[in-house]
Amino acid sequence: MRLLLVEDDPALADSTVRALQSQGWAVDWSTRGEPVAQSVQKDAYDLVILDIGLAGIDGFETLRRLRAQGSATPVLMLTARDAVEDRVRGLEGGADDYLVKPFALAELVARIRVLTRRAQARTEDTLALGALRMDLQARRVFVGAQALEVSAREWSVLEFLLGRVGKVVAKEQILQAIAGWDESLSENAIEVYVSRLRAKIEPAGLRIRTVRGFGYLLETAEPTP
Amino acid sequence: MTPPSLRRSLLLWLLCPLLLVMPATAVLQYQLTLAPALKAFDRALGDTVISIANFVQAGPEGVHFDMNAQTERSIRTDQTDAISYAVLGPQGELLAGDPPVAEPPLTLAAHEWRFYDAQVFDQPVRVGARGVPCGVALCQVRVAQTRSARDRLRTDMLTASAIGLALLAAVTALAVPLATARGLRPLQRLSAQLGARSLNDLRPLTTADVPRETLPVVDAVNHLLARVHAGSAAQQAFLSDAAHQLRTPLASLRTEAELAVLLPHSPELTLGLSRINDAAARAARLASQLLSLARSDATARAVLPMAPLDLRSLGAEAAGEWVPRALAAGIDLGFELQTALVSGQPVLLRELLANQLHNALTYAGPGAQVTLRTFNDGGTPTLVVEDTGPGIPAEDRARVLQRFQRGAQASGDGSGLGLAIVSDIAQAHGAALALRDGAGAGAGGRGLAVWLRFPAA
Repeated sequence: MRLLLVEDDPALADSTVRALQSQGWAVDWSTRGEPVAQSVQKDAYDLVILDIGLAGIDGFETLRRLRAQGSATPVLMLTARDAVEDRVRGLEGGADDYLVKPFALAELVARIRVLTRRAQARTEDTLALGALRMDLQARRVFVGAQALEVSAREWSVLEFLLGRVGKVVAKEQILQAIAGWDESLSENAIEVYVSRLRAKIEPAGLRIRTVRGFGYLLETAEPTP
Repeated sequence: MTPPSLRRSLLLWLLCPLLLVMPATAVLQYQLTLAPALKAFDRALGDTVISIANFVQAGPEGVHFDMNAQTERSIRTDQTDAISYAVLGPQGELLAGDPPVAEPPLTLAAHEWRFYDAQVFDQPVRVGARGVPCGVALCQVRVAQTRSARDRLRTDMLTASAIGLALLAAVTALAVPLATARGLRPLQRLSAQLGARSLNDLRPLTTADVPRETLPVVDAVNHLLARVHAGSAAQQAFLSDAAHQLRTPLASLRTEAELAVLLPHSPELTLGLSRINDAAARAARLASQLLSLARSDATARAVLPMAPLDLRSLGAEAAGEWVPRALAAGIDLGFELQTALVSGQPVLLRELLANQLHNALTYAGPGAQVTLRTFNDGGTPTLVVEDTGPGIPAEDRARVLQRFQRGAQASGDGSGLGLAIVSDIAQAHGAALALRDGAGAGAGGRGLAVWLRFPAA
């Protein structure tokens, strides 16, 4: 996996680069935001770790230029301020996640894994995680080579969750996403679909955690190394 | 010593001179109006003297006085007063009239007037006397008039003066304190306005309807408020910068320490490295908490605007960040979110919730349940973070709300700032903070519920 770190503090950049390399990842480092858009196009990074406070154009502007040229590369923003406005601005500008400095290395690594997995899970016509694969064209689900029987509603819920691996998803969100053509759908129905899906995808090494009173979290049962 | 009073000194300086001058004025007025009136009486008395003097005739056989009885009667008659008279010859002998009026002897030049008070027939009288030439000699005519009319005039005037004085005194006694109170009202309004202000209200005082005389005071206060505001904004910016500057090196320190633990190293270093890592994490958290505290301080609040806000969305927003952390800590974090509208500062309220959840996750212990609840409790927007951990004994609860104080049985590496921050931010929002037992106490403890009851938005 290939990552690009954009950070203007040399000491922090150096230790972060070494930490990420220790995970077996290839890491490039840039101190400025200007060249980022171009190099992402050229080198096909799996993820960009982008600091907000940079000399020259800042992280927000770098992100804007990156997205303006149509790049869908996942971006993890780093901020030394915990001002909520920064966070909101970053996420609205197309960042996929954010982390406040100083972060725990384990958390940075975990977030990178979730983001890249989410990105890798989706290609043109498939969504895949662990041993599970959704063929979006044929609308069929496989665990390994084994086809899985799912109803149309279950398919919608699974597709929604698979697109948000490692993220907490509110029941309400699922409801809004799949109930467009049937307003009478209730949150209880969502619970039923999820509990059926839970049993069906367990053999694929996937787990749907219940967030009590709120929603769900799809994750791999054993974190992939 | 009591402080000087504007009201008292105004009253003293207005009322004392007025109260001294008013009786003097009344006396003067009485005298000035009475004297001419009395003079008019004397003139009328003089007329009678002259008409009597016309009857004094000097003949070859001496002076004689011849007034018929009818004239005498008309002279002696008066509306109110009894009139008596005496005509004295050159030697002072009584030519006609009443003997008592002839006393005492007087020396008068020709045409000389003399008016005086005397007693005639045991009655107080006013006497008009005149020297009247009779031949070569000099006679005298005296007319005495009892003083009823004069006395009545005197009494009337005295009464009129007294009534005037009383009216003036009464009006003054009423009007001066009223005017003083009215005049001082802008000052009272100003102090009421300042007194009713909350600590975080640094808006300038209104200058509308402020009298010219108190305007300098209001302007000075506004100037001071503006400086305090600017000062606290600058302090906020400084704190924000300082925390920001502190974070990058701390992040570097932390990453370096974590990396060192991961990379091959001699085993005896492991403990030290993980301690460095923990210390860096604590320092980072402390830096961010100090910033939160500074933000929630009274003067700082003025800089951050309040906005309408649903506690429910605040809770839902927290799920994304805190559920993964709870899972990592082996804690079951759940939600019971209902709409509860408050007026608040989003930045501070997120900070408050973050501290509450951090506390619950840190102190409840693995296997515990933590539940975030938002609801309207009979019109009171309420936010509760409840856990099934060991809880805090009732006797420790007041103490843990203070800065840098931790519960006696607290485990973990908290700074002791968390609940103090929660308490400060709650106060900034007028919310009541209460620590209670957790409802479904389990995991070998009583549990802890942190209740925040907000004023309705």
